[in-house]
Amino acid sequence: MADSIALAAGAVESAVALGADEAEATLTVVERFSVEARDREVTTLEQSTGRSLTLRVFVDGKKATLATSDLSLDGLRKFARETVEAARHVANDPYAGLPEAQAFPGDGSALEMYAADVRERPNEAKIDDALGLEALARAYDPRIVNSSGSHVVDVVATITFANSKGFHGSYRGTQVTRDSAPIAQDGASKRVAHYGSAARGYASVEAVDSIARTAARRAVDMCGARKPQTTRCPVIFERDIAALVLSDVFSALNAANVAVGNSFLIGKGGHKIGSGLVTIFDDGRLAGGLGSAPFDSEGVPTRRTVVFRDGVLETFLYDTYYGRKLGAASTGNASSGGVGPTNFYLQAGTASLAALVESTARGVLIVDTIGFSTESVTGTYSRGARGFMIENGELSYPIDEFTIAGNLVEMLAGIDAVANDLRFDGSVVSPSFRVAEMTVSGT
Amino acid sequence: MHLDAAAFEKILTHALGAGEYADAFYERRINRSFRLQDGKIHEAGLVVSRGVGIRALSGECTGYAYSDDLSEEALLNAARVAALIARDRAAKVSIIRIVGEPAQAHSVYDAADELSADGQSAKYVELLARADVAARAHDPRVRAVNATLSEESQEVVVATSEGRYVRDRRPLVSLAVQSVAHGAARGTGMFGDGGRTDIGYFTRRSPEEIARESARIACVNTEAIEAPAGEMEVVVGAGSGGVLLHEAVGHGLEGDFNRQGRSLYSGRVGERVASDLVTIFDDGNLAGERGSLAIDDEGTPGQHKVLVENGILRGYMQDRLNAGLMGAESTGSGRRQSFRTPPLPRMCNTYMPDGASTYDEIIASVKKGVFAKSFAGGQVEISKGDFVFMLAEGYLIEDGKLSAPIRGATLIGNGPDVMTRVVMVGNDTRFAGRSYTCGKSGQYVPVGVGMPTVKIASVTVGGSSLG
Repeated sequence: MADSIALAAGAVESAVALGADEAEATLTVVERFSVEARDREVTTLEQSTGRSLTLRVFVDGKKATLATSDLSLDGLRKFARETVEAARHVANDPYAGLPEAQAFPGDGSALEMYAADVRERPNEAKIDDALGLEALARAYDPRIVNSSGSHVVDVVATITFANSKGFHGSYRGTQVTRDSAPIAQDGASKRVAHYGSAARGYASVEAVDSIARTAARRAVDMCGARKPQTTRCPVIFERDIAALVLSDVFSALNAANVAVGNSFLIGKGGHKIGSGLVTIFDDGRLAGGLGSAPFDSEGVPTRRTVVFRDGVLETFLYDTYYGRKLGAASTGNASSGGVGPTNFYLQAGTASLAALVESTARGVLIVDTIGFSTESVTGTYSRGARGFMIENGELSYPIDEFTIAGNLVEMLAGIDAVANDLRFDGSVVSPSFRVAEMTVSGT
Repeated sequence: MHLDAAAFEKILTHALGAGEYADAFYERRINRSFRLQDGKIHEAGLVVSRGVGIRALSGECTGYAYSDDLSEEALLNAARVAALIARDRAAKVSIIRIVGEPAQAHSVYDAADELSADGQSAKYVELLARADVAARAHDPRVRAVNATLSEESQEVVVATSEGRYVRDRRPLVSLAVQSVAHGAARGTGMFGDGGRTDIGYFTRRSPEEIARESARIACVNTEAIEAPAGEMEVVVGAGSGGVLLHEAVGHGLEGDFNRQGRSLYSGRVGERVASDLVTIFDDGNLAGERGSLAIDDEGTPGQHKVLVENGILRGYMQDRLNAGLMGAESTGSGRRQSFRTPPLPRMCNTYMPDGASTYDEIIASVKKGVFAKSFAGGQVEISKGDFVFMLAEGYLIEDGKLSAPIRGATLIGNGPDVMTRVVMVGNDTRFAGRSYTCGKSGQYVPVGVGMPTVKIASVTVGGSSLG
């Protein structure tokens, strides 16, 4: 740890010696173990420790950033020099610079970011988990005849930060991911599904048998899927897909996008945009949250921010630079040179997902989407999708090869039910929710 | 550790262990970039990626470790970790000696030898400023311009337990411009170009041209109406329409998916998978194209591959692991994002050659449909074969003529289904602006796509208008 602080602080010092007015450095050390199993074989085993350093320098209000895996003394000096030189070609910007001096907010032990069992659990047990996911998924149903593999990945990350205002700090975190992607044979067709769980440690990640069962059930349930008719109807987004919609909402709240005119929420601060069920938090202090950290990538303490309250847009999310530019304080969302989520989530409701389906006379349940382009300036949303037709409050048959489309402003306003199935297995998460009406495009 | 032949041989001896094959991949990549925002140079970036990835193969199994620490202790430790994959097996092969200097790959690039930082920054800044001025001058509706220029040099050395010892130096430049225009509504336009060449490329392909294209698309999109919903005739535009080939066919022909029986194209070589108008190539040897590779990341020379010929599936794209297990030869398709990740079979530049129809004939043949002029990207699920491609610029076609522009929408289809419905192929094939990046298993690599204008009899358009 002392070595890490010396390395980060040394990089800052050398940048200043080379002519930078201010500088900050982050050293990230990631120990990663990863196993992939297919059927009864361990198909890939990977283990490495990677180190990288990010150095941000400010020269006369001009900013340049170095990210390097060459941590040799010669390499650091050479590339730090080039970074300072490059900064001289940038335009002077009155908003560029380090944040105001901060007190060290602690190593974040209250945030429960580090689980000792990630290092303690033997590799053999982790390999058995991956093989177990495969075996249990295949045993679930005779139609499960193949897979895209099951994975166990664990990571121990140590982050060390230093800047030229004398701030330095360090924290560590762990993450465990288990997932499985079985393939069901459906006549001449193949149905692949994916399900996984991620958490800070083995004590809190979902159990192997439950992951395997859910993944296999998803593949089998898609057998016989057909293309639905084009229509407008209510759309229920299952939890993981709801989180993807929320990622688009985050992009529109990202001050870096707002500042360049690339958000459909520009000028909407203080307005009621969403339905009364839309209360969204960004909480960097959530105990055990995968996006939690004591401070952000520029050393600003993280915090809990109410982004939407009862449908009203309360604030965008800022780092120091875009905060200054747009006249707001940083919300502690600086993330590797830009603005990123901590634990960004929609507040859960009280009903189960099953109850949401039951209360839908006619509609669709979306369990998977493909595609990724949302037109940020207008909020135009369109995705390929798979899921189930809902008739009379019941899942009647699986559907695929169709799209769902709408506009994010109308979708936020149209959220008329939110389920109680929120879990914190990513940095952008959501409970399942229903949008009153969208376009389903099929035949 | 000085990485000469003796050092690689030592690393590979430790990595091979009881496995059948081992390789080491040294990489030193330097990427320099400048970003423009609000009419000013906003920031400069320098990314240095240097390290060694070490792999051991045993049957279907891969052991992998990397090190960014080039000390002997760290590299040999990584080699031993990779060798663990075969620890329960009996040794079968021994290493073939690594000697001399690595052989320099025959270049398919179009660049000066060494990328030098000196004096380049001023050139980058000038190119960005010219792009900004041109985008704004194109139309007063253009209100914001964001542009990024990057130049990269990747030096690689590949050494294998079979005695292969080769090197390559790969250049890559790109200029990407995003314009936001305010009209009836707000519109964005994104356009980029570049390739495996150096900054001199932008003397032939001016930043003004690239910026004006971005501004033009942004202005068109201010007038766009909601896209229609439902199945209809779709004309896919020349150039970036190649995203269709990449998603609908290309991924499904990658060796790993086929060896494992996961692709809907598994076991179908020699069968009809598209209409007889459809021929698809993948080529690593096109001078300067973004996906070109003199050698792949396993040291195999880049190749021209016939994937589909007149509708018949001809072959897969292979890396060493999957080729070996399928009794085939590598096609020079083993690619990786960096030394931190093992290679996978990937596409290089995927394209369709010219057909017989003209653009005008194709548009005139459509009574009611959509002209999908360019694409922001696509995605595919390779087992069932459903794929999407996302519109960046599109128009309604009514009575054989282009009418209103339509908002960004996703189009969805099933690979062989859609390819069987290709009913007209244009004589205007070309490569898209060189700006596409392909993701697979979390690894991103630059690729090229090319296409003539093509008419598909029926595709589902994912707009929100039922009108």
